Amino acid sequence: MLSRHVLKQAHRCPGAARRAFATEVVPPAASSQSSPGPAEASSPRSEKSTEKPRISTAIILNRSPILTKTPAPLETAFYSYQARIRRAISNPFPHDFYFKQGSLLQTRFNIEEREREKKAFGPRFLPPEDVDPEKAAADKAAVEQLAQQEGEGEELAPRVHESDLKGDVKSLDRAGDRNLYLLLQVEGNGKQSWRFPQGGVEKGDFLHQAAQKDLWAECGQHMDTWIVGRKPVGVWKPSSESQNPIFFYKGHIMAGQVRVDGKSVKDFAWLTKEEVGTRLDAEYWEVVKDILSDS
Amino acid sequence: MWPDGRGRCERRLCQMERARHRWQEISFRINFVSSPPTTMSLLRPASTKAAALNGLRGSPSTAGSIRFYAAKPDMAGDPKRETIRRVLYPANRRNRPSPVGTWRPDVARALQSAIPSVQAHETIERAWLLHKRHVRKEREAELARKFAKMEEAMDELYRLDSRLFLEANRSDDPRAKSAQEMELAKQLKMSEVKTLESRIPGLFPRELKVPTETPSRTGWNYEYKPFPRPL
Repeated sequence: MLSRHVLKQAHRCPGAARRAFATEVVPPAASSQSSPGPAEASSPRSEKSTEKPRISTAIILNRSPILTKTPAPLETAFYSYQARIRRAISNPFPHDFYFKQGSLLQTRFNIEEREREKKAFGPRFLPPEDVDPEKAAADKAAVEQLAQQEGEGEELAPRVHESDLKGDVKSLDRAGDRNLYLLLQVEGNGKQSWRFPQGGVEKGDFLHQAAQKDLWAECGQHMDTWIVGRKPVGVWKPSSESQNPIFFYKGHIMAGQVRVDGKSVKDFAWLTKEEVGTRLDAEYWEVVKDILSDS
Repeated sequence: MWPDGRGRCERRLCQMERARHRWQEISFRINFVSSPPTTMSLLRPASTKAAALNGLRGSPSTAGSIRFYAAKPDMAGDPKRETIRRVLYPANRRNRPSPVGTWRPDVARALQSAIPSVQAHETIERAWLLHKRHVRKEREAELARKFAKMEEAMDELYRLDSRLFLEANRSDDPRAKSAQEMELAKQLKMSEVKTLESRIPGLFPRELKVPTETPSRTGWNYEYKPFPRPL
């Protein structure tokens, strides 16, 4: 249970070493004389516990990418270049081993292979086929008939979803290759602003449990979510005494959708990192931007 | 020591010899095929040894004939067996009488069409490594920023509340069932208990899907029924 971090801290302030090894948890005030903390006067225990800041937790709920990353133009060009070299130095494919001699499948394979060779090396690379044109036409017709008989085959869904085209920010199918983050629109002092779901910490709760409860409270329970670990990933330190520090927790959503009550929380959106940046206040964004993933 | 008495250094030398011979074969064929001798050589220039093999016409295809110089032709066996043997053990320089290995018949022309020049190939290689380096540095920088944020958060938590800090540092034992989970298990049906037990605290949930090339045809599952999970 004594993590490296605790012991590292203990080295820095010897008073804290006593605290780290103690079996009881002693509030910070008892050894505040020796610890390098805020420059407030050492206060007795009771006063410090009433001054304890009320911690809030916020959740950065992330929908991980559904699709693999779109390769950069350099990457596609390099891969096709390497594929051409590999084709040039590979053994010729033993089609007479894998197909029955003279069968339709072999003909189809040879036609397709010729197309692939043309694509790799250029149309003028291959010598012209020495088959008479009638036979070639007959083969082509037979292959087409085979394709028709076999049926269309399974059509793959396109990478671009219709919510991408419509710009539907509530959809969880949008931007499949990017990370999406949940933002809530709340009204405070007559002003509409966007923020991450947040809430307070109940007595006796740990921070990660409080984070999960706050998420359920603000976004509903119709989502399969998972909070990553027990440690916070960021903190918003208040500039003034009246505000409370906010600890950010990262979560993942695996199924379901947000349901807002419309009273305190007006609206929600699933946004990529840049879009989050456009909607948040500058000070809030400065805290949060290093926590979000770039892609 | 190897069975034929060669040591490790000698074996390494043999491997290098073989690699050099491979390059020589390719370069021999390119020099043989490309007519104007003044065009810049595709690969390293042919050695004098390769020039001595000028009498050959280029390698026959695997599907075609095999040249026999001193050896006797194989007995006419079952063609299926011959095909299988040819596929499993493609002819190479060592097991056939001619000293050229298995390539496609027009390997020199194909390579010339694929690789523009030595300099171009090296430039492409360097560009690729540079690109990989950029991607790697970006990723490392992002991780470093995230870690710095986590460190800052934990330092702040330590300063504010030691109990919460200690609990944040505790690690879950994946084998242990919490009291909350056991209580919940008593109230649920058997099938629901399985769903409860499948989510192990401290480990990643199995519902976190690996990204695919194309999305599923059904898309995102918006119809999720709430399930009570222990905190």
